[in-house]
Amino acid sequence: MNRRLIPALLLLGSLSFGQPEKSDDEVAARKNALELAGAFANDGFKLRDGHWSGSIKTGEGKLVQVNLYAGNEYYFAVASTEKAKKVALSVFDETGAAITIEEPYQEGFTAAVGFSPVASGPYYIKVEELEGEATAFCLICSYK
Amino acid sequence: MLPRTRDFAASLALLCGTVFAAAQSAPLTAEQIKAAARTDDFSIPTPGEFMAALSKVGKPDWSSKTRPPIPTDFPDRGQRALNLGTLVADGYLAVEAESKQDVKNIGKDIIALAKPLGVSEELISRGKSLTDFADEGQWDVLREELEATQNEIKIKLATTGDTDLIALVTVGAWVRGTELIASHVAKTYTKEGAQLLRQPGIVDFLAGKLDALPDKLRDEPAVKRARVKLAELKGAVSSPRENVADQETVKKIHALSAELVKDLSKKNLK
Repeated sequence: MNRRLIPALLLLGSLSFGQPEKSDDEVAARKNALELAGAFANDGFKLRDGHWSGSIKTGEGKLVQVNLYAGNEYYFAVASTEKAKKVALSVFDETGAAITIEEPYQEGFTAAVGFSPVASGPYYIKVEELEGEATAFCLICSYK
Repeated sequence: MLPRTRDFAASLALLCGTVFAAAQSAPLTAEQIKAAARTDDFSIPTPGEFMAALSKVGKPDWSSKTRPPIPTDFPDRGQRALNLGTLVADGYLAVEAESKQDVKNIGKDIIALAKPLGVSEELISRGKSLTDFADEGQWDVLREELEATQNEIKIKLATTGDTDLIALVTVGAWVRGTELIASHVAKTYTKEGAQLLRQPGIVDFLAGKLDALPDKLRDEPAVKRARVKLAELKGAVSSPRENVADQETVKKIHALSAELVKDLSKKNLK
């Protein structure tokens, strides 16, 4: 386990400002997301200490705004639980136009995308469950 | 399943320097964009991320950006929270400047300011870590500690029912970070540097949070001042996507943010 992930793991389950206690699925999804992010933390990517999580079901898309800086490289990693057979991530700019991601990663209940914004400002990350049962997801952002 | 690092290394190699232009998915509608979630801890970058971006386009003299110590005994809770945020940004500045003493002093001030908000107990061990890592010159670890410190403050405020103060900590951190970046870009203007100051989503989110505060908190002088200045900053940091702020605009961003940071630190603010 990369040392950069230790603070994040220590805070596992506690970083939910004012939200009710996390379900087992949410805790599992967060653990899976941190493991996924750990695979590229060695390449110099730093985790944003926060995360975005919630429930999701097949056919549903969840959208969150992130504010990014041109010049930085970003990696977004999402994970769910084994109840989800396939999840996907997509990125949109502030006008709503999709950004093509070269070599996106997708394996079962995990997915990741990396890109370098050409302009600073708000972007939108969409999490979708394509196959499987209703469960929880967790999205993590890394940058360098 | 954990992906193979090699796969990621290949992906990372591809993304370096790559500009992605074409679109594949259907575009989002205005309604979808409006309804997108926005959260304090995920949507808003830390001052450290902001400074990391600037360090790629220039070599700021971070040590020249430090300020004299601020009071830590403000009477109003809102003003305490706002200044707590500015101090967190000062912590990142001290780390970038690799100033051990500043890291230690700021750590102490953060604890002193947090105490009346009921947060200090959790931060004492964190403060010790900051001191230890500063002594050892572990700057990368310190950056992570500061981010964790900021989150720990917010978690504690949430658990004590002070969720309204979380937004104020974020506003303080953001405005001090903006002041620091704008100060550098105003003096050594480049389009790449000015591009970093385009932050319409952040200022929109923070202004919305301040507008939604309870009347009592919103009427505190420091919070009122923050609302007014944020409204002024909004225009300056919201240039169209295809344009980059010119040097005059950057100077304006610096002046507005510096004025707000200075005002927030005044004990008898009216």
